[in-house]
Amino acid sequence: MKEVFKIALAQISCQQADKAKNLTKIRKTVARAKKQGAELVIFPELSLTGYVVRDEIYELAERIPGPSTKIMEDVAKKNQIHLVFGMPEISAKTEATLHNSAVLIGPEGFIGKYHKMYLPTHSIFEEKRYFRPGYQTAVFDTELGKLGLIICYDIYFPEVTRLTRLKGAELIVCISASPGVRRSFFEVLTVARAIENTAFLAFVNLAGIQDGLQFWGGSRLVGPSGRILVQAKYDEDDFVMGEVNYPDIRAIEAFVPTLKDLRPELFEQLKKSAEEL
Amino acid sequence: MKLTAQALNLDWPEVDRRVCRFIKDYVERSKAKGVVLGLSGGIDSCTIAALSTRALGGHNVLGLLLFEKETRRTEDVRHAELVAKEFGFKTETVDITPTLEAFYRSTPIFDRTDKLNKGNVKARTRMIYVYYYANRLHLIVCGSSDKSETMMGYFTKWGDVAADISPIMDLYKTQVRKLAQYIGVPEEIVEKPSSPALWPGQLAENELGIKYEQLDLILFGLERFMRPEEIAAQLHMEKHLIDEIKCRWLSAEHKRRMLLTAKLQYRTVGADFRLQRNPP
Repeated sequence: MKEVFKIALAQISCQQADKAKNLTKIRKTVARAKKQGAELVIFPELSLTGYVVRDEIYELAERIPGPSTKIMEDVAKKNQIHLVFGMPEISAKTEATLHNSAVLIGPEGFIGKYHKMYLPTHSIFEEKRYFRPGYQTAVFDTELGKLGLIICYDIYFPEVTRLTRLKGAELIVCISASPGVRRSFFEVLTVARAIENTAFLAFVNLAGIQDGLQFWGGSRLVGPSGRILVQAKYDEDDFVMGEVNYPDIRAIEAFVPTLKDLRPELFEQLKKSAEEL
Repeated sequence: MKLTAQALNLDWPEVDRRVCRFIKDYVERSKAKGVVLGLSGGIDSCTIAALSTRALGGHNVLGLLLFEKETRRTEDVRHAELVAKEFGFKTETVDITPTLEAFYRSTPIFDRTDKLNKGNVKARTRMIYVYYYANRLHLIVCGSSDKSETMMGYFTKWGDVAADISPIMDLYKTQVRKLAQYIGVPEEIVEKPSSPALWPGQLAENELGIKYEQLDLILFGLERFMRPEEIAAQLHMEKHLIDEIKCRWLSAEHKRRMLLTAKLQYRTVGADFRLQRNPP
């Protein structure tokens, strides 16, 4: 397993409901990441289709593995690279039950997927109208260590990242499609999740405008001390490289021992209180 | 939450940037040659013309001065020309009086004393001109409605509000003034009392019965789910005045939405036919 490696934060804007165009952009970006020595390249939430596709999502969603993940597997194999991207998925057992999914593919092919647990359905968001929530966190054993996947609004709920970390993930990948008015929340939460879990957190947000929603970009790699190691531009397409160095976690974990000091009995109380809210 | 002028403060450079990006992105996606807008010489249309110019360049922005004899004011013409000169966009002046007169003469039930309905004819006639220019010159119609007037229903349905995009519709009037100041709209335009120019001497604040500084705080409170009694207490106003504004806001929803129809089939336009708005 590699302990130190480079990752690429591929902050792209997407063409709504145009998978072919988005795949072309993704393919070119992966090649660029490979050239710069990246072992992992991360794309935003629903980067295959765009975020605002509304009813068209029923036509755009695919099974995983499926045609688009097959294309992405070929891209990953050709470039000998890991990649994470987002897409709408149709459940294998149904015809119109969808998930908002993150997909992890490695140099050998498909590794795994994650179903977004917290689906925002308030303000301008309508995700529960279309998606079924996930029920499991996702941590995958790879050549790049244990990678955890979460999606956008999941980051507001510390238990998702915590559970992902407790299952061993030292690099947590959060793909996102966050519009501009929420920037200040994410800028705090990404740092908080990294500190409280003493983990690397790679946040990759969408850029561009879809139906008046301006996605703010600002993708970043946050270190286990909460330091922002690299940050992409706001609003526009951007591409930044960062380095993950797992041994750095050791010093931070000894200095801010949040995992050592965990109090499991509080989780029982938390569950009870949440049920009674 | 405290209802003070401070509550309405925004990061103006950020708002400027976001509105300009919004305009530029929409025009580019639409493959239009630019925008056209009705330029009255008032704060909203002058600000939107200025923002469009910052977004697209002056040669891609056309301001139409659609004056008519009853409401034409030299000061408004001067302000429209002033902002066009300051920011450097194109203008064209059309006297719509003959069109209006033809409508008045040819409509058997037309009543010259009914100033509200006559005013609506003027607003809708301006809309026809703006859309003609848009279609003829491959331009997008850029609306200049603000949030205060939109929430209050203080506009003509299918008239002044009709547009392809309305970039400042999420800003209250007092916020539009702040944004205007930030981008350099001349102070005399920013400070001028607003008027829809539907009949001589018409002033928005007189008709609404309240100053925008106070109205905007009430609407801001309602937007954030504050109860009328909380708003009334904070602003030292009678609760029934807040209730009246809330009622006016809610009862005007029919003016803000597209076509309502009876639900008869699987997916219905305007109800659950949920499609992306951006052109493919």
